[in-house]
Amino acid sequence: MTTASTAVQASENPGGPSASAAAARQVTKAYGSGETRVTALDAVDVDIQRGRFTAIMGPSGSGKSTLMHCLAGLDTVSEGRIWIGDTEITGLRDKQLTRLRRDKIGFIFQAFNLLPTLNALENITLPMDIAGRKADPAWLQQVVETVGLADRLKHRPTQLSGGQQQRVAVARALAARPEIIFGDEPTGNLDSRSGAEVLTFLRRSVDELAQTIVMVTHDPVAASYADRVLFLADGVIVDEMHGPTADSVLERMRRFDGKRTS
Amino acid sequence: MLLKTSLRSLLAHKGRMVLSLIAIVLSVAFVSGTLVFSDTATSTFDKLFASTASDVQVSPAPPKGGNAADTGGKTLTVPATTLAQLTAQPGVKSAEGSVSVQSATLVNPKTNKAVGPTGGAPTIVGAWVPGPHPAMTVTSGSAPSGPRQMMIDADTAKHANLHLGDPIRIIGDQGTFDFTISGIATFTGTNPGAALAFTDVPTAQQDLLGSTGGYTSIDLYGDGSKTDDQLKAEVGAVVGSDYQAKTAAEQKADNQKGIGSFLDFMKYVMLGFAGISLLVGAFLIINTFSMLVAQRTREIGLLRALGGSRKQVNRSVLIEALLLGVIGSTLGMAAGLGIALLLIQLMKLAGMNLSTSLDISASVPIASYLVGIVITVLAAWIPARRAGKVSPMAALSDHGTPSEGASNKIRMALGLLVTLGGGALLAAGATAKQLAAGGSDLGLGLVLTLIGFVILGPLLAGVVIRLLGAVLPALFGPAGRLAQRNALRNPRRTGATAAALMIGLALVTGASVVTNSMVSSTSAQIDKSVGADYIITVNHGGLTAPMIAAAKGTAGLAHVTEQRELPATFTLPGGKSVDQLVSAVSPTFAQDFSLPVSSGSVNGLAAGGITVDANFAKDNSLKVGDRIGIDYGKGRTQSLPIALVTSTGNQIFDRHFFATIDTVDQAVPADQQPTDVVVFGKAAAGADVEKTLTALQDSLNAYPQVSVQDQAGYKKLVQKSVDTLLYLVYGLLGLAIMVAVLGVVNTLALSVVERTREIGLLRAIGLSRRQLRRMIRLESVVIALFGAILGTGLGLSWGITTQRVLRNSGLNVLSVPVGTIVVVLLLSAVVGLLAALLPAFRAARMNVLAAIASG
Repeated sequence: MTTASTAVQASENPGGPSASAAAARQVTKAYGSGETRVTALDAVDVDIQRGRFTAIMGPSGSGKSTLMHCLAGLDTVSEGRIWIGDTEITGLRDKQLTRLRRDKIGFIFQAFNLLPTLNALENITLPMDIAGRKADPAWLQQVVETVGLADRLKHRPTQLSGGQQQRVAVARALAARPEIIFGDEPTGNLDSRSGAEVLTFLRRSVDELAQTIVMVTHDPVAASYADRVLFLADGVIVDEMHGPTADSVLERMRRFDGKRTS
Repeated sequence: MLLKTSLRSLLAHKGRMVLSLIAIVLSVAFVSGTLVFSDTATSTFDKLFASTASDVQVSPAPPKGGNAADTGGKTLTVPATTLAQLTAQPGVKSAEGSVSVQSATLVNPKTNKAVGPTGGAPTIVGAWVPGPHPAMTVTSGSAPSGPRQMMIDADTAKHANLHLGDPIRIIGDQGTFDFTISGIATFTGTNPGAALAFTDVPTAQQDLLGSTGGYTSIDLYGDGSKTDDQLKAEVGAVVGSDYQAKTAAEQKADNQKGIGSFLDFMKYVMLGFAGISLLVGAFLIINTFSMLVAQRTREIGLLRALGGSRKQVNRSVLIEALLLGVIGSTLGMAAGLGIALLLIQLMKLAGMNLSTSLDISASVPIASYLVGIVITVLAAWIPARRAGKVSPMAALSDHGTPSEGASNKIRMALGLLVTLGGGALLAAGATAKQLAAGGSDLGLGLVLTLIGFVILGPLLAGVVIRLLGAVLPALFGPAGRLAQRNALRNPRRTGATAAALMIGLALVTGASVVTNSMVSSTSAQIDKSVGADYIITVNHGGLTAPMIAAAKGTAGLAHVTEQRELPATFTLPGGKSVDQLVSAVSPTFAQDFSLPVSSGSVNGLAAGGITVDANFAKDNSLKVGDRIGIDYGKGRTQSLPIALVTSTGNQIFDRHFFATIDTVDQAVPADQQPTDVVVFGKAAAGADVEKTLTALQDSLNAYPQVSVQDQAGYKKLVQKSVDTLLYLVYGLLGLAIMVAVLGVVNTLALSVVERTREIGLLRAIGLSRRQLRRMIRLESVVIALFGAILGTGLGLSWGITTQRVLRNSGLNVLSVPVGTIVVVLLLSAVVGLLAALLPAFRAARMNVLAAIASG
């Protein structure tokens, strides 16, 4: 009985469901053991607020991607606990994690977001197909229009430009109305114009559709689209910035570089 | 330098090479196993025959037109006076008269069952004449002496559970005789698989030949003063032309011919297996190398950008294939030894003890390496050429897979041309009037349609899989749709993978259509032309007079119709002479059979005429009324008018020359005629047909080697003889499927590796492991079914054409084994499921993050 009641308690989101879309407490991720042990994340605490656009920044090797992967349930943590909405995901089995990803999380990767065998529309509805759900046609229409792909829906990914492909990926992430969308350098492979397009769509989906988005990036301009920027260095959150501009982020990032070179 | 890159590449991809290697090993193993087996068998028998042959053997010359033993003919003998004459011959140290016949049946009286081999090997009953170097020695009891003692060989005793003192019976041309087992003899060397039984010489002469004083052969042993050839020449002069003399070498060659035909059969079957696995294996190799080349396009592009020439790239792939071929051939050759040992064990089960010390001649490694390396390098040729064509630009492009499509139009045109050409030939063959022309059309059409289908495969994949796959999304949801798209994404690969299965199934379907039609045609012919109610056949020897008498005495039987075959030489009106068999039948034959009349009249048969079939008549410009001179040998001749020309298309009458026994009696005295090969019975009007069958079986109960069948039973017997052929076909199917499974596994495994990132993405956005596994399984099933559909389609067209070509040669009814085809299609789906097991498992176990990050 004791274990059961603690389990129930433990699985409650410490920040409360209304406040956080995702949360991490004392999350540590380490690779190897003994002398070769590398700590990618070191007792990180983080809360991702609902309906806001959060960017995670940091120099390479700072652990920003690892943090996102752990938050999204793609990677396991060594210590600590993670919640998505009300659900604690640390300790979930693959089957439950898969279902969680399917139903509550949207993903946008840096590249290779789309299945080459499916056309744009099929790619967009794929998560719902997998779940065996029907897409809400009105919502789908709105999403498609928002990302400006209405005339490209029957095209295969190879017939689309890089920017268009990423927009399809954004549409896919939005279409299933996930609780949270994780972007792993979503504009990393795009030229600045296409990148700006994609980021604008992400921004609009937060403002107009009240979507929660977490994005890992190393580009200060991309980070400036977010409401809040978390700065990671050596596996620890070292700073946080609200209402960032490209310049202020760049300035903050330079201090990492300066610290490094000195 | 090139060698180094090839070697490294081979090692780097060893996992992917394993399946191709298995295919090579399998094919080479069959080739080397077959060669080692037949070498070993030949040398075993060489030793046996060399050790037992006498210096010169004298036996009666076979009658004209054939071998007496083949036709159940009377046993010819050498008289005792000749033995005395030969013993006195200068240069002869000793002469032994021996008696042995193959027409007698050994029966265990306790069970009333025939003893000895039921298959091809003979039962030899004769006199115990050990000679100077006997093949057998008495290992328990004593050699037979007196009229009631018999010795049998140890293997037969063991199989039939017979012991010293047990009763044993022989049923031969001269009647039924009972004996007690006095001794058991064991082969000093190898038992060729026959059953042997011995009595003393006078008993053998009396019971087997019907009179004392005769021998079936006389063995002469020289005193060393003359060579075998000299002795043969001198002995030949003494005995005259009614007898023949053979040296030890000639005896050995004769014996080997007998055994050899059986071993040859085994050899061809095994080589057939080898051929199939080679053909299918070649596709596997093409596929593996194609995929490796496709995966390495960027690497090759880089090599080209750095200054590597086309030739060098091309050569590096071929060297890789060469290395694979060498390894595969070596392993295959070794595995072949295992197959040879297995075959020897198999022969042991069949009663043939071969030496287990394998005889490996130089031809084994030569053939193994030749086959393995040539096939591998040839199969790698196409992918190698493709590798050479990779442009340096490929190194820079993002997705390093070469595009297809450019050659699709050429492929389409070429494939259609070859397929249509093949199809036209098949159609021409099916309608050809002449058998020979139809046959050659069929052969070429077969090859061309196969090649055409292989070329068209990738294009057909698009069409067929789209159709097949249309039901998948509906049935299996998103996994089904993804599977269908995946199977379609690389049609060339899908086509080549499916081709392996296609070839196997085409052969099997074609063969099963032909065998099925064979059974149906024979049944139809029996229905149409056999009016007799019962068919009495004998497993061993002939149907002797006491057996006929016993059958005739059965209540409810109206009459029996006998049929015996006499070898003879025909002299046609044009002066041409041919060796044929005269089928001598009772006059009631015309009542029991409705002879298909082309011209003439059935009545002419009873009036002393002979029948010929329409083909024979046409080829030799014969017509009713022409006279044929018939020479039965030894001065027994007659001239018979053609009474009837039978129309062709019925195996019961084709290539048969019927005359009544009364007619033949005029030239050959009844006591010199061979025993009957088959006897037909007709129930009396009003008699119960079923009860009479039982009664007839009871009447012949004393002869376990005789079987009585009604028409339905006889049809079953025909079916059974065809079944042996079918088992062979199923063996081929099994092998083809096995290699095809390797191919599908190979393709899927490589696809899974290629699509690592895609699989990672799918898993990330929520595809469960189960759905992922299902996706891969369905892709596999779709590929397998595609191959199966193409294969059965092709096989059906082959089978139907074959039947059409042979429609006038007895295969007049087309029968498609629908059940078999359905089972084969279902089996293919199962094959697909099985092949996907491992790749699906591996894909599902992939780490999602690692998969996304890869490549």
